[in-house]
This record gives sequence, C-alpha cells and structure tokens, in this order.
Amino acid sequence: MKTNIHKLQEIDKTKNPFKVPENYFAQLNEEIMSRLPEKEYVEPRTVSLWDKVKPWVYLAAMFVGIYITINFLTRNSDGGQITTEQSTTVKPASIPQAADNYWSTVHVTEEEFYQFLEEQIVDDGYYDYMYNQYYLN
Amino acid sequence: MQSEHKEMIDEEKLLEELHDPLTSRKGFGRLVSEYSERLYWQIRKMVLSHDDANDILQDVFIKAWTNLENFRGEAKLTTWLYRIAINESITFLNKKRSQNNISIDDDDAFLLNIIESDEYFDGDEAQKMLQKAILTLPDKQRLVFQMKYFEEMKYEEMSDILGTSVGALKASYHHAVKKIEKILGEPN
Repeated sequence: MKTNIHKLQEIDKTKNPFKVPENYFAQLNEEIMSRLPEKEYVEPRTVSLWDKVKPWVYLAAMFVGIYITINFLTRNSDGGQITTEQSTTVKPASIPQAADNYWSTVHVTEEEFYQFLEEQIVDDGYYDYMYNQYYLN
Repeated sequence: MQSEHKEMIDEEKLLEELHDPLTSRKGFGRLVSEYSERLYWQIRKMVLSHDDANDILQDVFIKAWTNLENFRGEAKLTTWLYRIAINESITFLNKKRSQNNISIDDDDAFLLNIIESDEYFDGDEAQKMLQKAILTLPDKQRLVFQMKYFEEMKYEEMSDILGTSVGALKASYHHAVKKIEKILGEPN
C-alpha cells in the first residue's frame, strides 16, 4: 500500500502506536520499588564539647610550646657568658622582671667582681699606653 | 498559574519527605507513581522497544534513589528525572550502535526492525512512516521533536531539561518538522 503524506497534521498523533503488556502500569510502581536497594540510616553524630574546643586547645598548646622554646633558647644564648657590659652595668630599679630573673641566676662574688674591675683598669691603662706610643709619638 | 503554585508546594513537601531518612522511601514511592508513566513514554519513544524501555526506566529510578542525597533542589524534580532518563536512553542507544558497529550517521537498523516487527507496535502505515521518518533525525533533534510534537511540552521546560536555549530548540524543531514532512512527501 502506498501512502503519501504532505503535512504532519494528516497523521492522527493522538493514537499511540506503541503498546504495553496488560496491567503493565498497574504493576510497574511496585516492581520499581521492590528493586530499590536498602539505604543504611546513619545516625547523625553528636559533637561533644571536647570535640568542639579540641582545635583551640591544640592551637593554644602550640603557642605555649613556641613561647617556652624561644624563652629557653634566649636564656641559653647569653646565660653562659658574662660580657663587659653586663658585668659592669649596675642594675637600675626599673629593669623589668625578666632581667631580674636573669641577674638572680648569675653568681659572682664581691671579690670576683673587684678582681674583674681591676683587670679592666689594667687593660685600659695598657691600651692607653699603646695608643699614646703609637699615635702621639 | 494556581496549579503551577500547587505543584511547587507539592514538590517542596515531597523534597522534605525525600530528604528525611525516615520518610524517604515513602516519598520516593509517591515520586515513582507520579512520574513513572511519563518517563516510560519518554524513554520508549527513544528506544522503541518495550523491554528496553522497561529496563532503562528501572535503572533511572535506581539511579535517582541512590543519588537522592545529591539532589539539592536547584532544578525541578521532573527536570532532574527527565535528564537522567534522557542520558540513560542515549547511553543505551550508543551502546547498541557500538555493539552493532553502526556509525552515528547510519540508519539504526535495530530501531527500524522494532517498527516493522515488534509485537508491541501496531501503528498503521502512516504511523509507521512517521516513526521511520523520525528515526532519520539525530538523537537530540529526535528528542526535541518527540517532546514538542507528542508531549506538547513548553520550550522553557525543554530548555531546562536539555540545557539548550529556547531559540535553538525552536530552530531545531522547525528543521525536524521540515525534514519529516519532506520524507513523508517522498514517493514510497
């Protein structure tokens, strides 16, 4: 049979040429639902106070650690030597607490201190003498 | 307008149900009974065979169920489901073509066979001719034609589903109609 159609409107589009088995749609939903996998219900995790503050505690501990390390290194770097400046400077009343702590760790007897001053004076005299010899003569 | 508003409220309620682990299965049951038939016909008109359409539809709902947590409501539920259905249908067709060593530009013999001999196709001669003419269109244009011509879907909705501009869809539909009418007008 030959059929020539010139316009789409000539075909009745309300007639559906595709068929489905009997009762297909009646059983379809049930079939789909029966094939769905079970989902695990995961109870939402309650966050304890410790879990909430833990990062801040770690951060604070880190800063304390850094402070202690710096403090320790600073003490060690100048604690072992007595420089001229340190040994001759008289501690003023306004030196902060940290300096107080420092001086309390330096044990120099009065005798040692005078001995040190005497050596300084002798050294200074020697340098003065050398200076005068070399530059002024 | 009022029915659209009602639909939106319904969808909001349905979404709440779906995202609550205690009611999600029941809500999904409502979703299935609401959209299964529409989606079936959309898939069926792409793959033509009832058995294939049935398998794809089941996969669509399983995919939707397992990915429900990822659906945040940016698009409408229907749009989301249609997108899954269309992707699954096109993936199926491409797989069939590669199995049969058919290039995308060749006629799909396996689809033509369904029109000729499938027990669930009983169209008259004119309907057969129309279906064969539709098969000459590229997949995406075929989709546009099916949605507009048979389902009388709005271009805006089609645009949301297919991610193509309304203008491009209108042009695509216009070309599809011209091409089909040309084929129908050719002497057999």
